[in-house]
Amino acid sequence: MSQIELRNVQRIFSVGGEEVHALRDIDLKIGNGEYISLMGPSGSGKSTLLNLLGLLDRPSSGNYLLDGRDTTTLNDVEQAQARGGKIGFVFQSFHLVSRLTARENVELPLMLSGIPIAQRKSRVADLLAEMGLADRLDHRPDQLSGGQRQRVAIARATVTEPELILADEPTGNLDSKSGGEVIDILERLNANGKTLIVVTHDLDVGDRAHRKLKMVDGLLAKDLRSNAA
Amino acid sequence: MNSRDIFRYSFQSIERSAGRTSLMLLAMAIGVAAVILLTGLGEAARRYVTNEFVSLGTNLVIVMPGKSETAGGAINASFTGSTRALTIEDAIATTRHANVVGVAPLVVGAATVQYSGLEREVPVYGATKDMLSIRKWRMAEGQFLSESDWTLATSICVIGSTVSEELFANSSPIGQWLRVGESRFRVIGVIGNTGTSMGVSTDEVVIVPVASAMTLFNTDSLFRLLVEANSRESIDSVRLFVSNTIKARHHGEEDVTVITQDAVLATFDDIFNVLTFAVAGIAAISLAVAGVLIMNVMLVAVSQRTAEVGLLKAVGAAPRQILAFFVAEAALLSLFGSLIGLGVGLAGSWIASRYFPSIDMRPPAWAVFAGVLVAIATGIAFGIIPAQRAAKLNPVEALAKAK
Ligand SMILES: Nc1ncnc2c1ncn2[C@@H]1O[C@H](COP(=O)(O)OP(=O)(O)O)[C@@H](O)[C@H]1O
Ligand SMILES: [Mg+2]
Repeated sequence: MSQIELRNVQRIFSVGGEEVHALRDIDLKIGNGEYISLMGPSGSGKSTLLNLLGLLDRPSSGNYLLDGRDTTTLNDVEQAQARGGKIGFVFQSFHLVSRLTARENVELPLMLSGIPIAQRKSRVADLLAEMGLADRLDHRPDQLSGGQRQRVAIARATVTEPELILADEPTGNLDSKSGGEVIDILERLNANGKTLIVVTHDLDVGDRAHRKLKMVDGLLAKDLRSNAA
Repeated sequence: MNSRDIFRYSFQSIERSAGRTSLMLLAMAIGVAAVILLTGLGEAARRYVTNEFVSLGTNLVIVMPGKSETAGGAINASFTGSTRALTIEDAIATTRHANVVGVAPLVVGAATVQYSGLEREVPVYGATKDMLSIRKWRMAEGQFLSESDWTLATSICVIGSTVSEELFANSSPIGQWLRVGESRFRVIGVIGNTGTSMGVSTDEVVIVPVASAMTLFNTDSLFRLLVEANSRESIDSVRLFVSNTIKARHHGEEDVTVITQDAVLATFDDIFNVLTFAVAGIAAISLAVAGVLIMNVMLVAVSQRTAEVGLLKAVGAAPRQILAFFVAEAALLSLFGSLIGLGVGLAGSWIASRYFPSIDMRPPAWAVFAGVLVAIATGIAFGIIPAQRAAKLNPVEALAKAK
């Protein structure tokens, strides 16, 4: 069984009476622990696809099976639970809550899933230490560099130990050095068995993945696997 | 997620956005303080009037000459027909009842009083011994009128302390002869300062025996007859007795009006209840205004924090959890706001009572509780619409709203 299976997935937005086909008929299977890069021109539907995979959005037609279960039948609460437990999202613009400290930001998913505060504290501290942020626990996002913020965001995405990590241009707002550090961390997570899907415009970053998907105009144009997996 | 987490998260939000928070706290505080101060003012007015009445004496049955057109005890009702006199003999007859502990006939007029070249225009009361206890007056010096034949016009008088000061300066007036109108009266006592009662201060009056006053003012009728019952319970039987006694003496005609102080007080109580509720209504409107303000500020907060809501959804928040955060935030804001308002309101009424000791502005307990509870309920109720808006946000669109 594949971890992810998309069958005839379409996503159509209607903008001012006109229909925009962001995804046209996508079929895709992804296994546990894969490392995938998703590339393609701007507007080709990469983010739309990632949002669907992350259960932030629903397909207009077709089916999305996550761990064998058809997600299109899930209600709001079940979807929210799956987002909180199975999926970790990393965004280009970090999306940290600016009034909360690094520690509090990372705690959010645990708090929402009802983990007691004492357990939260130690798990978050350990994780941020792994990200090289042991001395930044009580800093607010505006007191952190871009690379540090993205590492806080990765910690938040992984604190619930999800099996699937989705990163939408995670290095897009970073210089090459901190971008490299962020990719290193993501690859380390993949090495530990997590499925990793990275949307990127950076060819070097894209080439490091074991499987390279290319999108053009809402369709999967290429699906290349390197043997050195 | 437990409620402590919800409130911690919401508290961090209000703690770390000072501008929005202080605006909402202010709105709530004003609403609650208004409830407390306005109802306190209403209560103060009620207490003031009630005290004025109680200072007339308690358990009183009051008889007025003439028949009131309106039944039921309005004081200034109009009177009809030629008024038959209410006489001293009528008053004497009303003393013959086991439950009557005091009878005070009263004649009121004004006269010029004169002593060694100084003169003054003063209210003159014709009274008897029981007036002292019924009106709860105290003597500063000498004695009040003593028990005697009410029909005897003796030439003695009791004067108020202001009259005493103005005519006798620092020397004692006791034993001195005072000219009142065309007659001379010997001063036997000075009434102590008892404050005002129904607008007239006892400091400024001269009191003579009731028969003397009738001669002085050339009248054959009393102005009022005050009959004191021995208890609240016996007021009704005394009223009936007084009314029947006088009717019998007036050949079966009901030509006097008999009211009880109770009835008058009850009327005023009704009026002040209406007043207090009206004032509370005005205050409630200010709470509603605070609620609308809270709603608008929360709506702004939700739109400012759209990206945060999107993020919360992305990391697993269910719509109900988002709803809980924003409702908890509105609840905390209205709780803190109303506690501030409670403090300001109570402090305000305390300060007012200090500067105007005669006005007791303590708010009624129900108004304090209702004010705070209504404020919190309003805050929550008006917080629900913005919270629902937040809970319904589409996560992808919300995340795209990032600054
Ligand atoms: N919420 C939306 N409403 C309307 N059109 C949208 C929306 N989201 C994406 N699109 C359209 O769908 C297409 C794919 O967008 P997107 O997935 O963001 O592309 P990419 O991430 O590859 O740059 C674009 O044409 C975009 O304008
Ligand atoms: Mg995109």
